[in-house]
This record gives sequence, structure tokens and C-alpha cells, in this order.
Amino acid sequence: MTGPLWRQAFDAAERAVAPRAEDLVRSEYFSLATAVVRRARTVAGRSVQGLSARAWHLVNLPAGSDISRLRAQIGSLDREVRRLTIALEQERRRAAGRAGSPRPTTTPTTEDSDADGAQPADGARPRPARRRAQRPARP
Amino acid sequence: MLDRVRRDVERNALRARNGVKLVAGVDRPGVGQTPKDVVWQRGRTQLWHYRNDLDTYGGVRYGPPLLIVFSLVSRSYILDLTPGNSFVEQLLKAGFDVYLLDWGEPDERDAENRLEDYVDDYIPAGIDRVLELSGADEVNLFGYCFGGNLTLLYAAHHPDAPLRSLTVLATPVDFRHMGPLADVFAVGGMDVDSVIGDDGNVPPSIVVQGFRALTPTAEVTRYVTLWERLWNDEYVASYQAMTGWSDDHVPFPGAAARETAEMLVRRNGMVTDRLTVGGDPVHLGDIRVPFLTVRANRDHIVPPDATAPLIDLVGSPDKHELPLDAGHMGLVVGRTAAKTTVPTIIDFVRRRSDPLDGADSAQEA
Repeated sequence: MTGPLWRQAFDAAERAVAPRAEDLVRSEYFSLATAVVRRARTVAGRSVQGLSARAWHLVNLPAGSDISRLRAQIGSLDREVRRLTIALEQERRRAAGRAGSPRPTTTPTTEDSDADGAQPADGARPRPARRRAQRPARP
Repeated sequence: MLDRVRRDVERNALRARNGVKLVAGVDRPGVGQTPKDVVWQRGRTQLWHYRNDLDTYGGVRYGPPLLIVFSLVSRSYILDLTPGNSFVEQLLKAGFDVYLLDWGEPDERDAENRLEDYVDDYIPAGIDRVLELSGADEVNLFGYCFGGNLTLLYAAHHPDAPLRSLTVLATPVDFRHMGPLADVFAVGGMDVDSVIGDDGNVPPSIVVQGFRALTPTAEVTRYVTLWERLWNDEYVASYQAMTGWSDDHVPFPGAAARETAEMLVRRNGMVTDRLTVGGDPVHLGDIRVPFLTVRANRDHIVPPDATAPLIDLVGSPDKHELPLDAGHMGLVVGRTAAKTTVPTIIDFVRRRSDPLDGADSAQEA
């Protein structure tokens, strides 16, 4: 054992406590207790949220939960648009490939126009890539 | 005796100086410094291309390119921690063309992202972009931690994917062994919705708490060790970089978290072969590409028991397992990574890659 005396004492205590603490957090009891506490917090939070929402609605104003719902709907819409854009991008690539173009190019969208020019992620000036031609893949 | 007193006084002075630096947050080591370009982006997701300059790293000498898919809950700079202690830097020096798919910081717009968004949309789009830029027909795919799960699902759901090889690092498959992080859902019956934040995602603080619960005394030990070695500048710099990363998580998209809890944790889908992506059944046995799984025997985040079954689940005829005496982060940063993990990975991928024109002579030289 090396190190100062206080460290040796700490290590001895840690060795005694750590396995017990780990057993505790890995026990079924701990998992159940964590879940119950979380559930209780959620129920309490929702009750308070419901009450405050009712109060805001009384004066015809949107509550936090209304804003959350709107944010979720915008998020959902954003996801759909992203997925459609990616699908469209893939389809364009496939179509370009079918048309016999050896190197299909992406039709720039707003985001592509930013990315296609290879923005430096670290703020430095982009340099042309030095790449050699690749050999075909092994059969 | 006098020397000891003098040494203690000197160390305490250094402790005071470094303590002030730590508290003030000055002199933080720069992370993620390897030069890179954003070559594709969609939403918060970006595809980074690391510059393999001829002068700095010797240029690209092997193909096809490497694409790294990162985890959904942490920040990708762990793979490019600091100059000289960077997984990416080592790959570049080995002559690879390296890309990384970074998920960014999810917000409310990502709350509805499901696993299929990553597996069926982002990863294929990222691969297409890599192929387009490099002119290659295939990529060597890498997955780190939960990014490994995404690449496994991708490779299994897309048997015709243009993959030369698949390498996963610290990727859990048997979620029964993930400790309290999974037990609260699988055993305690906790509902993911009870940890979802206002933005519809699992807040990073919950993720950090979950990881901390895995080793309850580690936090105290960490501070005790810091106090003991606070005089050592090198240790303090490394502490700042490593603990900075381990405390720096990103929100876990809500829908993906629900799916993970149900499919991977409660159903233990990877082991029980009950996986679905976008409604399609997916089988890890359908993965046939050359495969390497790297697992850490002292990993407290993804315990070895959680990663061990993977090698038997994948259907590749050419599959390998690399168990290492390292921790979760030690797989990609630090001495073990530099001496063992990365060279072994490089060797695996190099054997499944083609030297580009002139690389043979360069190697000989």
C-alpha cells in the first residue's frame, strides 16, 4: 500500500463501503424505490401543472402545458420534414445513379448549401482534401 | 525530513494554484482539436470529415473510408479528446480517411426521433455522402457505445449496406447487466415519461445521475484523488478533459429513449432476438460483414457481461472479439488505447482495406 496515511485510511473505508453501496443500488428494492419516488414526483408535478393550467385558462391565457404541446407538435412536424428531405435526397441520388452519372451530386437545399461547401467545424479555413484515387473493393 | 516538508509546501502551493484554476475554469484543455469540415448536415446532425493532411498525418493511404457513428447520450469529442490523446488522430496517422456522424445537441425538435430515424435515415444518408465525397463503393463502419447499437441495427436492417466491415466499441447487448440504469425500467417498472423533461427529451442531468448511480462511491473517490494529485499539472489537465466529458451529456431524444427502454431493456431485444426497426423485425444474425467487437473488462458504464454475448449474436463468418483490460473511456483515450486498442482496431480495419495508389511504396519507405 502506498500514499499518505489519510489516503490509505480513505481507501480502506472505500473498499469496505463501495461493494455494499453497489449491492444496494443494484438491488430490486432500490429500483422499485427509485421508480416509486419518480412516479410520485411526476404525479405531484402534473397535479400542480393541471391546477396552474386551469388558473391560466380562466383568464383565457395559454398555460405552460399548452406551450409544451405546441412545441411537441412543431417537433413532430420538424421530424417529418427532416425525414422527407432525407428520403428525397436519397431518391435524387438513386435517380442520378440510374441515369448513369458516375458521381451523383446532391441538389442543394438550404442546409446542404451550407454543408456542401465543407464548412470548417472548428472555424479554420477549409483546405482542399488531398485524396488519392481508391482502388476498387476486393471481390 | 526537511526535504519532505519542503516538498509538501511546494505541492500545497501548486495545489492552491491548480485549485484556483479548476474553480475558475481557466486553462481548460482544448478538446476536439483535430481539423475537420462539416460535409453534410440535417437538423442537429452533422457529418464531419477530418482532414488527413499529407504534411501532418501523411495523407490518406487506405480505403475505403471510416465512418464513426457516435452515441446518442454523450459528446463525440471523447474520440478526439486532446492533441496526442485522440482516437481520431491515431486513425488519421494510420492513413485512413475518417468521417464522424455527430448527433449534436437534441432539442424539442428531436423529441419524436425514433431509433429508425437514426438507423434508416441519418446513417444511410451519412454513408451516401461519404461515398459521394470519397468516390469509394464501401465504408468501414465504427460504432461507439450506444452508437454501436445503432450501427448493429443498421447493418442488420440493411443487409445490402455498402459496408466493408463493422467495428463496435463498448456496445451493450445484454441490458440485464446494465445495472441500476436499466433495472429501474426493467425491474422497477419505471416509466420513461416520468423522466422526460419539458422539451420532450430525457435531460442530460438524468443521464449523468444514472451513470453516477452505477458506482455510488466513485464521485467521492474522484475528488479525493484530485486533492491528492492536485499539484500535478498533467493530472489536472487530464482530469479536466476526462471529467469534463463524463459530466457533459446531451439530452436523449424522448421517443428513442422510450423505444430503448421497451425494446432493448425490458424485452432485452438484442439477446432475445426481438428487435424491430420501423416496424420490421431485425436480426443481428443477418449481419454478415467482417465484424469486430471491442469490450473493456473494467468498464463500469457498460459492464463486460452486457457486451460479452454480442460475438455470438452476429452472423458474420469473419468475426472477432477483443477484450481489453481497460475502462469505458480507456478504450479510446489514454495509454491502453494508444498502445493496444487503437493499434488492434487499425490492424483489423487495415487488413480489410485496400492500400491506395502509392501507399505500398510509402509504407516500405
